[in-house]
Amino acid sequence: MTTDAALRAPLHRWRRRARLLPKGWDNAVGQVLMMIVSLICVFPVYWMIVTSLRPENEIFSSALWSDAVSLDNYAYALGTMPMVRMLVNTFTVSLVVTPVQLLTGILAGYAFARWRFRGAGFLFGAIALTWLVPLQVVMIPNYLLVARMGMIDSLGALILPHVASAFAIMLLAQAMRSFPSEVIEAARMDGATHAHILWQLIVPNLRGTLAPLAILIFITTWNEYFWPLLLTRSPENSVVQIGLQMFITAEGTQWGPLMAASTMASLPILLIYLVLQRQVIASFMKSGLR
Amino acid sequence: MSDAPSRVHVSWPGQARRRNTPLRRGDRALRPYLYLLPAVACFVIWVYQPLFEAFMLSFRQWNMLPVSPKHWVGLDNYCNILELPKFWQALSNTWYYLLGLIPLAVGLPLVIALFTQDLPPRLRNLYRGLIFVPMIIPPVVAAAVWRWLLDPGHGIINLGLQKLGSSPVDFPYDPDITLWTITFITGWKLVGFATLILSAADAAIDTSQIEAARLDGASKWEIIRDIRLPLLSPTLMLLILMVVLLGAQWSFAYIHVLTEGGPLGSTTNIYYLLWQFGFGSLSVGWSSASAVTLFVGVGVGVGFGLLAAALFALKSKVTFHDD
Repeated sequence: MTTDAALRAPLHRWRRRARLLPKGWDNAVGQVLMMIVSLICVFPVYWMIVTSLRPENEIFSSALWSDAVSLDNYAYALGTMPMVRMLVNTFTVSLVVTPVQLLTGILAGYAFARWRFRGAGFLFGAIALTWLVPLQVVMIPNYLLVARMGMIDSLGALILPHVASAFAIMLLAQAMRSFPSEVIEAARMDGATHAHILWQLIVPNLRGTLAPLAILIFITTWNEYFWPLLLTRSPENSVVQIGLQMFITAEGTQWGPLMAASTMASLPILLIYLVLQRQVIASFMKSGLR
Repeated sequence: MSDAPSRVHVSWPGQARRRNTPLRRGDRALRPYLYLLPAVACFVIWVYQPLFEAFMLSFRQWNMLPVSPKHWVGLDNYCNILELPKFWQALSNTWYYLLGLIPLAVGLPLVIALFTQDLPPRLRNLYRGLIFVPMIIPPVVAAAVWRWLLDPGHGIINLGLQKLGSSPVDFPYDPDITLWTITFITGWKLVGFATLILSAADAAIDTSQIEAARLDGASKWEIIRDIRLPLLSPTLMLLILMVVLLGAQWSFAYIHVLTEGGPLGSTTNIYYLLWQFGFGSLSVGWSSASAVTLFVGVGVGVGFGLLAAALFALKSKVTFHDD
């Protein structure tokens, strides 16, 4: 890099002051700092997996690795709790919410990006503001609404409030605004309808935005905890996030099975992350940079 | 409009022809609303109408049982919660959460982002990938795992502390440190995300300015102080705003799994109090009144925050001609 040459330039009168510390110390400090922070970030996940694989008599061992690997905790967790059912439920909810939220986002985004209409600014603002309404503020009316619909303890109620998200709409509206309008005009001249333009021209070209967004929606839905906590009554109709809690009891916590269940609850997300790390990071980055 | 660039001035050949028929025109005028209908319906049903309903319920006394009557009590709920020490404790706890989260979720990531800017890309990506892991882990899993790590009897952290000669620390049950334990876990989950956002903003800084400053003999620290930090300030403001608005909400799962608001309400923040009022003691009126109070408070706060951010952005635009 040219910056290195510039760094070593003799012009560095300021550098002399910092000579108290050996050259490159900041880089070394950075390295050490990053190693510590990385360790703190990853170790709990590692410890979760290691604990889940320990045989019962070694649960309280503090050895960083045990030679005796046992799947007893998994067997126990699967046996006492309908874990498979819960995992399937979580998958179902996430797999329904993701395309639906993309669909409503694409439609709304297209409306904001392509047309000028009365109330556009107001509607956009009203949608953006929903981001600021904490779920705890509207939880009672939402709960009562679900109760009136007779949908307490059902997967449908877990899906319905997530039919649309302000974030998806804003992100897609922005992406569609920057879509080259010449291309769209050319398509219109050829007689393409709006549906054609949207589904055959814009959407296939927005894959770079849609894929990370889909990952983000999937992970967010998978991880959701508060709304299922309000609604589910029976383990068979609940998601895996709720199931975890059932291993924590007043009489004591069954650490082995709890860690096994935790591993199962985070495994799909961790696998997605391992395979699609770049896209996952990009998707979260987009959520912060608007 | 006629001398506007052609990119802005849009005119389709079919437009004039279609405008002739009134039916077509009504159709066209409705179309944006049709595209927006699913999303808007969702928000009306699940956000705005409930917001109104919460407002109405805040003047009632009700225990959520469909058969029991909803008494009109006027402003009594507001008076009652404002007289409740628990409410003020939860508010001050919320404040402590945010106070603790800012250094963890904004300060530390800033240091990391600035320190790692010069690392080789491969190494930097590895570190980023690792510190991002907590962000994607389900919050309940994070809560369960930290509960295990911090367990006073058998948790690895206490075993380590004991080896170092310290007495076991009662992380989840000692009222003096529980709140900081939960704050730490909330921050732990956010470090990777915040670092990523700050690094991205840092990477977007025009390097020619930094280069020029270096040639003028500015030290690394001076470059950070006078160039990088001012240019990062909009992103920092965004992060702070995010933490202030959402930080205390994010801790819900950790509070619920680790302490359930205890001991002695020392970890109850305002969001958890809403949950306790609503679904713990089934006092719909109190929960709604607190929700309205919180919402108005947050609204006023956000208004001020946005104003401050706008002024800040304006100031930095005036001071640094970076566009």
